Formats: sequence, structure tokens, C-alpha cells
Amino acid sequence: MTESDSSNRMTAKEKYPWITSFLEGWSIFRQNLLGKIGLVLLIIFALMAICSYIPPWISPMYNPMTGVDPEITSCTPPSLRHWLGTDFMGRDILSQLLAGARIAFMVGISAAVMSIVLGVSIGMTAGYMGKFVDTLLMRLADMIMVMPTLLVVLLLSAVFGQLNIWTIVLIIALFRWPGVSRIIRGQTLSLKQRPFIEAAKVAGASHFRIIFMHIMPNVLPLAFLFMTFRVTSAIITEAALAFLGFGDPGTVSWGMMLQWVWKTGHMFQAPYWLLPPGICISLITLSFYMLGRAMDEVLDPRLRKEDQTD
Amino acid sequence: MELRRYIVRRMIQVIIIFFLILTVLFLLFRLAPGDPVSMMVDPDMTQEDAEILIVQLGLDQPIGVQYLIYLKNFFTGHFGFSFHYGEPVVDIIWNRLPNTILLFTTSIILSALVGVFLGKIASWHKGKKTDSLMTIGALVTHTLFLPWLALILIWIFAYKFGWFPINGMISEEVWLDPEAGFIAKALDVMYHMVLPLFTLFLIHFGAYLLIMRSSMLETLKEDYILTARAKGLTEKVIRDHHAAPNAALPVVTSVGLSLAFSINGGALTETVFTWPGIGRELVSSVSQNDYPLALACFLMIAGVVLVSNLVVDVLYAYLDPRIRY
Repeated sequence: MTESDSSNRMTAKEKYPWITSFLEGWSIFRQNLLGKIGLVLLIIFALMAICSYIPPWISPMYNPMTGVDPEITSCTPPSLRHWLGTDFMGRDILSQLLAGARIAFMVGISAAVMSIVLGVSIGMTAGYMGKFVDTLLMRLADMIMVMPTLLVVLLLSAVFGQLNIWTIVLIIALFRWPGVSRIIRGQTLSLKQRPFIEAAKVAGASHFRIIFMHIMPNVLPLAFLFMTFRVTSAIITEAALAFLGFGDPGTVSWGMMLQWVWKTGHMFQAPYWLLPPGICISLITLSFYMLGRAMDEVLDPRLRKEDQTD
Repeated sequence: MELRRYIVRRMIQVIIIFFLILTVLFLLFRLAPGDPVSMMVDPDMTQEDAEILIVQLGLDQPIGVQYLIYLKNFFTGHFGFSFHYGEPVVDIIWNRLPNTILLFTTSIILSALVGVFLGKIASWHKGKKTDSLMTIGALVTHTLFLPWLALILIWIFAYKFGWFPINGMISEEVWLDPEAGFIAKALDVMYHMVLPLFTLFLIHFGAYLLIMRSSMLETLKEDYILTARAKGLTEKVIRDHHAAPNAALPVVTSVGLSLAFSINGGALTETVFTWPGIGRELVSSVSQNDYPLALACFLMIAGVVLVSNLVVDVLYAYLDPRIRY
């Protein structure tokens, strides 16, 4: 029984080599304290995002955007009815905080996925094609890289008026690929010299097929690492934009909450309103950052060795 | 000689990139919804003034001619008039630029110096309590949400303790006082600068600390460090004179790469502290639909980023001869 079990597992592992490499990576990751803290924090934030559906379901007055407590019309400290108090219109701060977690994940992950897809494709194309295409794409990357994303989005909202949340996500993604593409290009340049690419060429594979079937699987782990850093930068950019008053007025993000505290002049009177959103933005950034650093160690054997010796 | 050629090449690149940004902005403002006249001419202007401005900006000409006029106006310093202030945009920009540069450069230099110094110490105590405390401290401060940190600092140090002014850059009683000399005025600006500077410093030094730490650890594995040890040099000399100068190079690169990030932070800090700089002017001009001012502020910031990038690259090439191929 046990024998057949283990032999089954062996074949599964042989069939899917990524399972073994994932398990190996996981065992290294588990030794990293900061990485574990980051992961736990992220799970808590994910639970918050899921829980954000509960308060409006209990009572419409807990709706983060439109719910107003009929008995309260101003900013009140925490109470049994409102665990974190209410904002200047009598809206529940806790339900806004939960809804903010949902927006943060939505913005962070979708912007990161888009910018990684762009960065990886452009990086691979530049590295593989070389010559003119390479120069053109990399100069473009240089140009976009020096642009401060927040101020670019600000300027675009001046030209096009109020931007909605998906437009903001799209712009962040469009301006955040160059860092990734540079790294991926470097990887591609060295992969290009390997015999298996030569073999694929001889076998008559098209450029498209070589890039996406043979090079991409080899650069994906690195791209995944960069995704965690892109998530943080997207969340911060959206929060900063909302804080300055240029966010999507139809969404309740943490940056938006801070803007309300600031603009209504409650920042010295209502610490129960000022503290939670700021702590949440800082902590979610920190946890993605710690996760990224831990994954860096998993992917880069040099860093790992350094920590295991002396 | 080679360094000079490198600088010239990088300068040409910077000019081309700036030119491209200029062109993209022109297209953006001309192709945006709404007509360009309403974007570049103050709706409160009298009919005659508006017509003079339209001719000056070439808004009655075909788009190709408009572009040439736009370039000519840019190089001769005609940015139009701000809707909000009713003054030439150029005057506003020149008035705000020094304030931004003062806050920005001071904060970058201060956080890089402290970051390098602390990173060196952290790497030297690798694996010990000092190291973990510094690494975690750097990670935490680096990921704080900047505007929130600024609000908290204002709350604690300006509101609760009353040690520093809540906002602004100067106090009127000092600047209107005919008796006050240059030193009194400078001290007044420095007094106002403490909190914004501290905010930017807290956010930035952590990144430099982490980079310096890992770069130091790499450098300590080099052969020449082993040679230095074999010669019997003291650990302090090895650390400060052999390892640190080489390990600091990646910090220079990262200053360049994080410039865009720092500029974003600068604009946020200026806005929260109402520091009269370009970043705050951009934010307020966008919310007031003051297009000519917004355009000019953005161009100026892009220029600042490009020039500082150039300075960082040249500095790097000067410090590391390998880069000047």
C-alpha cells in the first residue's frame, strides 16, 4: 500500500517537475522569519477583504460609501455600534477599512499582473531580437523609467478629467514595466546562448514560439518575484493619488479615507480615524516587501548560501 | 578625456529624451477632449487679451505650425499665464524651483549618507542583534505611507509638543522685520524645514541602508579584503578604507534609479506641509484646472529628474572607471 503510494507520488513528481521545485522553494521559504511574517499579514489582509462583504449585509448603515447611521451625523469615537468610530458623515470606519483592503488587493494585483506581462514580453522581445528592436525598446524603457508615475497620473487626470479606478490601474501598469523588462532582457540574453534555443531554431521553431515556449518558462520565476514589488508600488501610487484627491470618487480606498481625515481637518481630533488606514497601507506594503525579499532568497542561491554559512 | 566623452554622450541622450517628453505632452494637450483654446487660455480673460494670447500660442494655426510655435515658446520661456494666479507661468516656476531643489537635494544627500553609514555598521554586525534591528527598522520605515507619516509627525511634533511649525516655509514676522538679517531668515527656513526633511529622510534612508548592507557583504568576500587581512590591517581600516568605498557604488546607482520615487515623495511632502515648491504647485494646479501651470510644472519636474539622473551617472562614471567604456 505504502509502496504503491510512494511510487504514485514519484510519477506525479516526475510528471510535474515544478511541484518538486515548488516544495523545495517552500522549505527554504519556511526558514525565513520575515517572509513568514509577511505571508501571515497578507493572509490577514485577505481575510479583511473577504469580510468586507459582511457589514453592509448586516445593515445598510454599514455600507462603506453610502451607509449613514441615522442617529449620528458627525465624527464619533469608537463605540459598540461602530467599533472604530464613524467619519464626518456618520459612516462606519471599520467597514470602510475592510472595503479598503479589497480595493488594495484589486489595484495592487491587477496593476502588477499587467505590468509584469508587459515587462516580460517586452524584455524577452528586446533580448531575443537584439539590434534595432532592442535599442528602441530599451531607450523607451529608459525614458519611461525616469517618469514619476504619481505625477504622470496627476497630469493625465488634469487632461482627461476624473479617472476611474481601472484607468488608474492601467496607467500605473503602463508606466511600471521598464524595471522588469530590463532584468528579463538580461536573463534572455544569457538564455539565448544556450544549446536548447539553438536546437529549437534548427528544428524550425518560429521566433514567437521560441520566445514564449522556450524562453518564457525560464524567466517566469524571476518575473513572479518582481510582481510582489510591483504590487506594493501600485498600492502606494493609488493611495497617494486618492490622498491628494484625484482617486476614483466611487471607491473607498485607504488613501481616500486619509484624504477625508485630512481635508475635513479631523487629523488632530480623531486618531481613531487617522491611524487605521495609514497603518493598513504601511503594513500591506511591508508584508509584500518582506514576501518579495524572502522569495528573492529562494530564487537566488547566492543569497541563501550567504545566510547559511557564518 | 574618456569621461568627457561619456558626459557628452549622456547629455545628448538627456536632450533627446526631454525633447520626446515635450512632444508627447504637446500631443496629449492638443488631442485631449475639449478644444485647446479652453485649455491654454484663461476663461476669465477679456476678449482682446484672449485673442492676443491665442495668436501668441498659435492656437489659430494648423497643428504642425502650432507645434513649432510651442517649441519656440518653450525655448524662449513663454509658458503662458496661470489661470489661478494671473501671472506669467515662468515667474511662478522660477519662484518655486529653488524651494523644491533645497528640500529635495538636502533630503537625498542626508538619507544617503546616513544610510551608507548605518548599512556599513549593520553588515559588520551581520547576524547579531544590531544587524537585525537595523534591517527591520529600515524595512519598516521605508514602507511607511509617506503622507500618513507626515500627518503623524505634524500631529506629534507640531500639534502636541509645539516644537515645530505646522506648515509653510517662512514665518511672516521674521521676513517682514526689516531688522532681520540673512542668518535670521536662513534659520527660519531651516526651522520650517525640519519636519518635511525628517519625513523624507525616514522614508528614504532605509533603502540605502539595505543596499549598502548587502553590497558590503558581497565586497567583504573579495580577494583584496583577504589580502588586507593577511597584511595584518585592523578590522576598522579594512572596513572603512578597503571595503566601504567600493561597496558604496551600488548606492550611487540606486539613488539614480529611485529618483522618480523620491520626486513623488517630494510632491506629497510639499503638499502636506504646504511647502511652496514645484510638486505642490503641480498638485494644486491640477485640482484647479490650471493647465498652463500644470504643464510647465510637469516639464520642470521631468527636467529636474533627467538632470539629476545625469549627475548621478556622471558621478558613478567618475567613481568607477570601469563604466567608461
